[in-house]
Amino acid sequence: MKFYGYPRPDGKVGARNYVAIIPTVGCVNPVVSKVVSTIRGTVAIRHDQGCLHPPKDTLRVTKTLINLGKNPNVAAIVLIGLGCEMVKNEEVYEGIKESGKPVDLLEVHQEGGMLATLEKACRVAANMVDKVSSIRREEFGLDKLVFSTKCGSSDSTSGLSSNLVVGEVCRLMTENGGAFIQGEVCDIMGGEYALKNLCVDEEEGERIVDFVRDLYMRGYSVGADVRGSQMTSGNVAGGLTTLVEKALGANAKGSQVPIQGALEYGDLVPGPGRWIMDIPGHGFENLTGAAAGGSLLHLFTTGRGAPNGHPILPAIKLCGNKKTVRNMADHIDFDCSSIIDEAETIEACGERLYEYAVEVANGKMVRAEILNFDSGMEILIHGPVM
Amino acid sequence: MVKYAKLIDIRDNVITSLADLKAGEEVIVKFDGKETKYVTNDDVPFGHKIAIKDIKKGERIIKYGFEIGSASADIREGDWVHTHNVDDDYICLDKDGNPLPGQ
Repeated sequence: MKFYGYPRPDGKVGARNYVAIIPTVGCVNPVVSKVVSTIRGTVAIRHDQGCLHPPKDTLRVTKTLINLGKNPNVAAIVLIGLGCEMVKNEEVYEGIKESGKPVDLLEVHQEGGMLATLEKACRVAANMVDKVSSIRREEFGLDKLVFSTKCGSSDSTSGLSSNLVVGEVCRLMTENGGAFIQGEVCDIMGGEYALKNLCVDEEEGERIVDFVRDLYMRGYSVGADVRGSQMTSGNVAGGLTTLVEKALGANAKGSQVPIQGALEYGDLVPGPGRWIMDIPGHGFENLTGAAAGGSLLHLFTTGRGAPNGHPILPAIKLCGNKKTVRNMADHIDFDCSSIIDEAETIEACGERLYEYAVEVANGKMVRAEILNFDSGMEILIHGPVM
Repeated sequence: MVKYAKLIDIRDNVITSLADLKAGEEVIVKFDGKETKYVTNDDVPFGHKIAIKDIKKGERIIKYGFEIGSASADIREGDWVHTHNVDDDYICLDKDGNPLPGQ
């Protein structure tokens, strides 16, 4: 098994080769959409942030935009700003430039409105596509792979099959020197001490517990007990009895693989092995955080059939519920209902998924890409929005 | 038709049913290449848990190799294990081990 990817100037390797059109503020999304519908080979990183945030949020948005640009699935970047946003466009530009990839910055105020910006942005993007479309896939080791994971639209098959299968992939791919990003702090709640025990460094483990405390207190500050809202009536009907049980089922996506450390939202993954990132469970912010971390591919487990992908992060949908595999066939990439039938071991199914994931990293498209069900994304904001 | 249940970790004292079961039905667990038979004392829906050991009131329920809650009543091998006989005792704690407010 070999990884054939796109080499990048910073030594990283991409599974896709996009020219990303990135707005630094949500106000210019219409310009971004028009560039993408005009120039083939481009992808829109539309989001609604970039202005009127408290400083911590502005910093997080800035870092996330830079690291999305640095994601190896992106070959070149056109940044589009308005000219009065809180995010500093030059800072985003300089940050992405560190990667050595082609990047350009346009501001709508400076260009004199949408039409002028559009003409220039389209030409810049067209020239970038012209340049980067000749980059060829080359053979690399499996140590260049970075995967991330989450579960969505879960049911009782998730903790019994798909999550355990992803856990096996986490074991296999980190043994080969790859990196693995896991988050969903809402789902970690209840299992934080189990994760802490897997940390190679106690202080890093304590940071994971802090992520959970922080989430709890943010809920408390708006009058919510997030412990209760995490256990839905559907969870209980499906057989989940306690919050800890639910958390352990979600955490199983990393099996018992040692954890190297805790990452803030959107931090670049600093090395090989398994990492826990402070990302919410909500899919849009979740996949964006993982993509900013440098993930090339997302292993997205689902029980009832979550269809969403992400603009630059191919998401493999794997499902252990036979009924959903049939009913939502258009959206499911990988069937692991064999685990529920006791027809395949977790180990064998994990190997099969690992091979499938490498195939996707090598260019095979996932259903969310084929169906264009991957345009939605968002950057995490704690607020208040002013 | 053979019905299965899943044992996730060797330390667990519960298994999870992979089929809807009627009281008195037999269920097979495959683990480490071995098959073990259990009989349920209750109707157990798909995805729900069955005790594979007697668990006394106050003792811990173990799944995934970890404590997931404690028995709120005496549980016998074969019993359905769910909210009626398990306490969810998770509390979010601060650095000193004290409960955070609102719990």
